[in-house]
Amino acid sequence: MINLKILSFNLLCVFASLNVLAQYKLTGRVISATDSSPLYGVSVEGVGISLTAMPNSEGYFVIYTKAQRYTLKFSHVGYVTKILTVNALDNKQLLVVLEPLNQHLEEVNIVSSGYQKLPKERLTGSFSTIGTKKFNEQVGVTVLSRLEGVANGLFTDRTTSASGLLMVRGLGTIRGPKGPLIVLDNFPYEGSLDNLNPNDVESVTILKDAAASSIWGARAGNGVIVITTKKSNFNEAVKIDFNINATIIAKPDLFYIKQMSSPDFIEVEEFLFSKGKYTAEFNAANKPGQTPIVELLLQKQNNQLSQASYDAAKLQFSAIDIRNEYNKYMYAAGLNQQYALNIKGGEKKHKWNISTGYDRNYSTLNDRYNRFTAHLKHSYQPVKDLDLSVGLLYTQSRNTSGRPGYGSILSRSVLYPYARFADDFGNPLSIMKLYRTGYIETAGNGKLLDWKYYPLEDYKHMSNIQSLSDILINAGASYQIFKGISADLKYQYERQYTDIKNLRDEQSFFARDLINQYTQLPVGQPIKYIIPKGGILDVSNAFMESNNLRGQLNYNNSWNGHEINFIAGAERREAKSNVEQNRTYGYNGEILTYGNVDYLTTYPSFITGASGYIEDGRSFQKNANRFVSAFANGSYTYDGKYTVSASARRDASNLFGLDTNDQWNPFWSAGLSWDLSKESFLENNVFSYLRLRATYGFSGNIDQSMTAVTTIRYAGTSIHTPAPYAVFNNYYNPALKWERLGMLNIGVDFTTKNSRLTGSIEYFHKKGTDLFGYAEIDYTGGIGSTILKNAASTKGNGIDLELNSSNLTIQEFRWSTNLNLSYFRDIVVSYLNNSQSVSAVLTNNAAITGVVGNPAYGIYSYKWGGLDHLTGNPQGYLNGELSTNYSKLTGSNITYNDLNYHGSAVPTFYGSLGNTLIYKDFSLSARFMFKMGYYFRKRTILYNDLFSSGRGHADYRNRWQHPGDELNTDIPSMIYPGTNARDNFYKGSEVLVRKGDHIRLQYINFAYQMNKNKYKFLPVKSISLYANIANVGLIWTANKEKTDPDYLGENALKPSRTFSLGIRADMN
Amino acid sequence: MINLNKKLAVICFICCIGLLGCKKYLEEKTNGKLAVPTELEDFQALMDNVGTINSSGISAAEISADDYVLTDEEFDALTDDYERRMNIWEKDYIFSTDTYNSWRYVYNSIYTANTVLIGLGKIPRSHNNSLTWDNVKGQALFIRGNNLLDAAIIWCPLFDQASASTDLGLPLRMSTDFNEISKRSSVQQTYDQIISDLIAAAAKLPVVSLSKHRPSKAAAYGLLARAYLAMRNYPQAYLYADSCSLLSDGLMDFNDLDLKLKYPITINQNKETIYVRYLKSSSILNPTKINIPTVLYNSFETGDLRKDLFFTPNANGYYNFKGSYTGSDGHFSGVALNEIYLIKAECLARANQISQSMNVLNELLLKRWDKTKTYVSQNADSEQAALSLILKQRRMELIMRGLRWLDIRRLNKEGAGISLKRIYHHKEYILPANDLRFVLPIPEDVIAISGMEQNKR
Repeated sequence: MINLKILSFNLLCVFASLNVLAQYKLTGRVISATDSSPLYGVSVEGVGISLTAMPNSEGYFVIYTKAQRYTLKFSHVGYVTKILTVNALDNKQLLVVLEPLNQHLEEVNIVSSGYQKLPKERLTGSFSTIGTKKFNEQVGVTVLSRLEGVANGLFTDRTTSASGLLMVRGLGTIRGPKGPLIVLDNFPYEGSLDNLNPNDVESVTILKDAAASSIWGARAGNGVIVITTKKSNFNEAVKIDFNINATIIAKPDLFYIKQMSSPDFIEVEEFLFSKGKYTAEFNAANKPGQTPIVELLLQKQNNQLSQASYDAAKLQFSAIDIRNEYNKYMYAAGLNQQYALNIKGGEKKHKWNISTGYDRNYSTLNDRYNRFTAHLKHSYQPVKDLDLSVGLLYTQSRNTSGRPGYGSILSRSVLYPYARFADDFGNPLSIMKLYRTGYIETAGNGKLLDWKYYPLEDYKHMSNIQSLSDILINAGASYQIFKGISADLKYQYERQYTDIKNLRDEQSFFARDLINQYTQLPVGQPIKYIIPKGGILDVSNAFMESNNLRGQLNYNNSWNGHEINFIAGAERREAKSNVEQNRTYGYNGEILTYGNVDYLTTYPSFITGASGYIEDGRSFQKNANRFVSAFANGSYTYDGKYTVSASARRDASNLFGLDTNDQWNPFWSAGLSWDLSKESFLENNVFSYLRLRATYGFSGNIDQSMTAVTTIRYAGTSIHTPAPYAVFNNYYNPALKWERLGMLNIGVDFTTKNSRLTGSIEYFHKKGTDLFGYAEIDYTGGIGSTILKNAASTKGNGIDLELNSSNLTIQEFRWSTNLNLSYFRDIVVSYLNNSQSVSAVLTNNAAITGVVGNPAYGIYSYKWGGLDHLTGNPQGYLNGELSTNYSKLTGSNITYNDLNYHGSAVPTFYGSLGNTLIYKDFSLSARFMFKMGYYFRKRTILYNDLFSSGRGHADYRNRWQHPGDELNTDIPSMIYPGTNARDNFYKGSEVLVRKGDHIRLQYINFAYQMNKNKYKFLPVKSISLYANIANVGLIWTANKEKTDPDYLGENALKPSRTFSLGIRADMN
Repeated sequence: MINLNKKLAVICFICCIGLLGCKKYLEEKTNGKLAVPTELEDFQALMDNVGTINSSGISAAEISADDYVLTDEEFDALTDDYERRMNIWEKDYIFSTDTYNSWRYVYNSIYTANTVLIGLGKIPRSHNNSLTWDNVKGQALFIRGNNLLDAAIIWCPLFDQASASTDLGLPLRMSTDFNEISKRSSVQQTYDQIISDLIAAAAKLPVVSLSKHRPSKAAAYGLLARAYLAMRNYPQAYLYADSCSLLSDGLMDFNDLDLKLKYPITINQNKETIYVRYLKSSSILNPTKINIPTVLYNSFETGDLRKDLFFTPNANGYYNFKGSYTGSDGHFSGVALNEIYLIKAECLARANQISQSMNVLNELLLKRWDKTKTYVSQNADSEQAALSLILKQRRMELIMRGLRWLDIRRLNKEGAGISLKRIYHHKEYILPANDLRFVLPIPEDVIAISGMEQNKR
């Protein structure tokens, strides 16, 4: 650490002494013709004279030469090259305006790593960028939701995480945190990412390889996404723009859920009734609730109901489909509204930017979300070499719960499909919730609170409000110490406060049920409420605070064809969080009163008499993650053609239990690039720009919850002893280290003549070592059957291809295409001790299989021997023989060698294709997304699940029923009693494995742009009207059931199609 | 270059800023609730985790035994394959290999005990902490001994002096090294360990513990009595049962209990409980619908308060059991004085001290008898007659205590010839006396990963 400091200081001194003695000085500025913004990274070269210059972030450059008159060539990717002859004696600032080559192709040439901003051409690493235009083709409320499909090398993984997880270049870890690091401008953003207003975003950069991301060290293993917010320039006129849009969200298609039909479900209930399945429950002391059909069957059996009345009732129930009920009473079209205003400007010494946004969303379930954001940025240059800046970002949001969605209303387990929410006149009906209907109607002789559950009323008495406020303040100073050397000091403070109030009022079933359960009705005495009457309020306060401090030295200089960009610095970061939870019984929100309860005494349950304690909802948590890091990153370019780069970083964190000395961990990278298009032997080639890049390096991944010593966690206070009690949190694990990810990246960037085709193709090799993994252990050891270790290593090859083509230009008609195509397949190189029982991984949710030579998440299956002709039993193979010994077929004796291997569970090919058509002021773009090369397991009917929890599946209809059916179906017969092992065998068998490949149309965007110079009547400079349709749907899918492989969960719905209309205006 | 020094100062400042005081900065805990267990309080807190330590008694013994019956419908309605297989004494796959099973609970508690015992080695016992230190050590030894005993009862052949040194016992874990390879000890070594743990625990534990969820000296004596009974070492069993009862609060009089309560034996009135432990809950032994065999129910005579206090009718014609010493709907598997009385009585009878033995039995039964009705003292004129009275009462008194399986096994060893039978849908499942299946199989996945020898079934 000390050595690094001394080294960096020495280097700086050496560079400083290279200060060139020159006779003539020329200053100039390069700007873009489109919006007069400074162009940074333009290559400035002498023609016939060896000199180069590099404009800074404001576009300014300085040249010292002995020559007085000479010719300069200004070239920049995406712009027409300009050649100018200058005279140094003119003694005035040269203003160079570059015209873009192809106005509709958006290029982001400055990339930000969060530590420095550099032109793409000077970098050896792999960066992919998304500019404002592409970013705004989607209308999503959050920043990350707009990245899906448009960013190269990035995809949303819905295999390992049903809610979707952004992944850069595929899986890099097995058990460690999988998400990329999100950086906002300069520092990692610790708050909720929903806080950020997408209208504040100028560009997004994805750091894909080691040279790009290793500057972020221990947290960069999964890639880094840098979000750059809009900024202003010095000497810029005030600019006001606003954006307003409204989005209508269609009702979801509930019939996507393969629910068992009501007649089928009733048939099963009748069957189970005849088998006596419910007999024991009728008598059970805890009065377990029975569905209406089961109640009627019992009445019929007891001769209280005639066959005819039963049949009539059954006919009525059969006609009901719970999906229709949900659709009619719970779902409605949703509406999102978004307003954003941005004002910016700058003068000689100041530049500033103010933006504000307001979002108001109503989901299809009437969940309400409001967000207000305000963003302020100001920079001040009091003296020539000093830049001071401050920023403030404030977000306030509020989330209010609405109506329950499909699958969230439960009776004892899964709600029966013939439940009705309202009668023919729309009056709320009650459904069986927990107890026998007959019992709750008579229990307590009317002295208890109503014990029925009304789905249409209940949500009105439950309110879950989450309020969030987040404030982020940053301040920075940048001081030019010597020419080319500047020092930066940056500080950022963030504080997020989340307050969740979950109130179930006295009318809610939750409160009524809990109160009734503990009510005592002593004979001749008043009713005794052990839990006081009133609502139950759960409050949770979460507080997050982060502090970041960074000191950094920058050296940027160029002379005689040499160019150096170097940074070195150190930083410390801290993120702390506190959570406090509390529960209040007997709460009355109108007069703010509450009741008292006794947590230390047991009270008998009203129903069973079994005694229990009243749940105490108090809990406290505190977490702190701290990092200290030192970093350096430098590149040297010779003659504008050859660049070498290197970076190094060491991180230390407060990983619990490690000695400080063991907490330091080094990461490094190195890279080269060569601009072939500047070589004379490639002049007049088809390429106007051609550059080769190669990098290699390491980054890391860390899970702060892991520790290297046996730790215990105080879990609460025991009512019995009564003293605090503790559980094991982590077990002594001396060899635990941070994950290390090595990556080799080789890429080519190119632009053909006339910019017809631009793009890049990159090959990468990823190698993860010391990956966290659960190693199987004998649980006789006492700590369970697995332990987390640095148990695995993986490797994988990948390709990222990005192509932008201008296909057709006929007068005012233009057609352009953007293609992102990525391939990545990981292979497990080693996985410690993997002898876990294979039946555990053959489940609906993709699980880590960890078989050496195959991907970490693989899809395997039991070999299928068809259905038995006589019984409809599924058959497998045991030692090559047909077998129905399910305990053995799914037992510990089965290894991966006995299974079929299908392929990866995570897409290996993915990407997107966008097409844009522009005619005059109209533009139309559409984007397709695809995921290929992977498998999933289809859901189906599992009888034991059906019998025990009522969870059915439409496949029931097509099950084996009679000999001969096995020729047409693979769905086993229903047998009672069911056995888990038989279900597990079927669930894991090959007949349920499907290819996941699919193509979807993600969005269509239509825009009409009006500029004042064409439409004179406009009160503003330009207006753009746009319309957007998102989540259009699947275009093609490989599986025959037409299941969307991204939405496989039990009650997963396809995302609703949305329709947006908006207007964007530029005021000045 | 005038202010070069100032500028250099800026550079140095920048370089150093992030790194100052970084050692202390990095010592902050990542999670405020974490601790490295080093203090006596930490060890006590680990053992106060009632949800694990006191709540994971092995239910396999009770599931395999004959103190409950299932109707055909109830047997069919079982959703857990493993429990179903265990109920009909299948040879294999009777312990779940994909969720927690009894083996895991046993060794998890043993790991906790070992963590405490090893950790104590690093805390000097001093004048100031000796009471706590001894108490913590005693508890850890007790927990290890208790779990080993529970496990030995289902997974090991019954202790037999002749073959104990060659019969396969349990793997004995004495360290917290989870990488240690499991090897089965002999039954002799297993029981030696149980006895030595419990004797050492008894020496360290306080006479009165802070809570009945924590073991006391009496609890250790009680378990020793149970362990010696399992070994059929009746003189030793008697000695420890006697020591245990000397430290106890006496029997509770069932006449004082409120019959109207759904669970009449309340925690507050129950002074017989010495150490609280629950059987791990299982769906097959679901206390809300368990059926007690009619023969067993009928063995309670009129005037015996237990008949009404223990039982409540189920709608299917059977009686449910509501006499749990947990005071609620969980099954009790801890140490209570009624078991100790019955051990004393049995050991006295086996030592041919018949009148003393009958005195102990009558003392217990008197507290179970309706005081408004005349109690006729139990009398026997031979060892055999005394034993048969005592064993009958033992079965009646200790319903759903996880003890029946051990009783069947040890009595069969004495020649009782008890075989078990279940009938579902007219199909008979029989477990003949002394069948190999009386020793349950170790979970298959443990055998697969450790390579230990499986019990012969």
